[in-house]
Amino acid sequence: MIVVNFIINNILTQASITIALISLFGLMLQRKKAGEVISGAFKTLLGFLILSAGSGIIVVSLIYLGKIFTEGFGMQGIVPSIEAINGQAMNNLHLGNQIALTFLAIFVFNIIIARFTRWKYIFLTGQAILWMATMTTIFGSFAGLKGAPLILVGGLVGGIFAVAMPAIAQPIVRKITGSDDIALGHFCTVGYMFTAGVSMLVGDKTKSTEDLVLPKGLEFLQDTYLSLALVMIPLYVVTAFFAGSKFGSTLSGDVNYVVYAFLQAVQFIVGVYVLLAGVRLLLAEIVPAFRGIALKVVPDAIPALDCPVLFAYAPNAVTLGFIGTTIGSVIAMFLLPKFGLAMILPGMLTNFFAGGTAGVFANAVGGRRGTIIATIAHGIFITLLPALLVVSFNKMGFVNATATDVDTVTAALLFAWFITPILKAI
Amino acid sequence: MFFKKKKMEETSSALNQENIEPIDKDKLIEEAKILSNTIDSVAGDERIKALNNIGSLYFAADKIDDAIKYYEISISGNKALGKAYTDLVKLYNIKRKEAVKEKNDDGMKHYMDKIDNLLQLSKDVIRGRA
Repeated sequence: MIVVNFIINNILTQASITIALISLFGLMLQRKKAGEVISGAFKTLLGFLILSAGSGIIVVSLIYLGKIFTEGFGMQGIVPSIEAINGQAMNNLHLGNQIALTFLAIFVFNIIIARFTRWKYIFLTGQAILWMATMTTIFGSFAGLKGAPLILVGGLVGGIFAVAMPAIAQPIVRKITGSDDIALGHFCTVGYMFTAGVSMLVGDKTKSTEDLVLPKGLEFLQDTYLSLALVMIPLYVVTAFFAGSKFGSTLSGDVNYVVYAFLQAVQFIVGVYVLLAGVRLLLAEIVPAFRGIALKVVPDAIPALDCPVLFAYAPNAVTLGFIGTTIGSVIAMFLLPKFGLAMILPGMLTNFFAGGTAGVFANAVGGRRGTIIATIAHGIFITLLPALLVVSFNKMGFVNATATDVDTVTAALLFAWFITPILKAI
Repeated sequence: MFFKKKKMEETSSALNQENIEPIDKDKLIEEAKILSNTIDSVAGDERIKALNNIGSLYFAADKIDDAIKYYEISISGNKALGKAYTDLVKLYNIKRKEAVKEKNDDGMKHYMDKIDNLLQLSKDVIRGRA
């Protein structure tokens, strides 16, 4: 009994061990060799701990940014980063264990829904499921749920989103790809459908973006971290200038306050680098194991794949979508504080992936005019939704960050606006 | 009713094509074979175009492995987001489904990994890395 209690209280409460055990379970179900099972589970454990280390670095940098931003501009400046939210939820709120189990529950509910209903979508983008698990766990916990109900409700909501989002997007995806062979598995679908709606209203689909001649590739985005630096370094340095040398020096110690701001911006990028390396290692074993199981249990599954699968159908629309979404997010950055909302800084990576995909959606229904107008609207839309969550995040103790992928934001708002009031009324 | 209608619409593209007009598969295969004999005599964009045409003919004739073979040669020579790319996603998915039916786990993983590689290629091409 002492041994069992020790395992329950000291081992299974450790999120890194829980997720490693989930991976171990998945690999065993796949009947992998013992060596592969052990190495896979160990890599998952390492991935989780690397992710936590990255999150620690991000939080230190964001606390500094929060202080100089408030001093410099007299308002809160929020960095949209689902990675930072995930990291803070795991480290500061100690929700790692629940997130790991909800991640597994979303997989299971997705398989059950696809197996027993006519919606055969299996969501195969592991990273997106991790972010969804993060958001449903945070907001479920905030609603007062604990233990098994927290994991089951989060898993059910996430599982429904994993099937519903590809299903909602499918009419446009069918238009883009010409078939129902594949679906889109990216939790930014609410934004894509909003973009398609606007594009349909204002566009002219007879003139496609693909008839335009645009410069080849977005070279400055070749490296994820350089593109992050492009936004974060000027942001930190300019903010430090506005905060002034007197205030800046109280935080920078012996280092010049501008140089310190520069180094803190680089620290943020280092944090994202480490965190994403952890996520990749974490998912490298767990996702193939579970997708193997899912595709076996649902033999007629339609695989919902990550957004780059659509880039090939309209590469020019991807470029225009990125530019339009960036313009929209900059407009929203200045516009939202006028309505009493926080200032949300543009997230270049979201603008690239979600903006690019939104461009493909817009082009399919509204051509080049639709793409240009609708993706600017998309930039405003995907900045507005995370801004609505800032008050809740502040109440929970999150530091200067908000979520990005709008479907996960929608799930969070579902909890904040509907599930929480219902639970509190009971 | 709405969902029933949707379900009826949700048939594979290949099936839809078959419903529209009967395809003379032997003729397509013959055409592909003739074209494949000319590959070595052309280079550059012409070669890529020919490879894609052969892949397309084999795909239309339901010769999945042959279509994959020629499209893969095409995409290895020209990392671009054209027809070779979009058809390969569909072809790998067909092979993945076949592997599931045959309970061939390794085959299923093999084709899912190939789809993952295509997704990475897509990111790289758009970012100008490929």
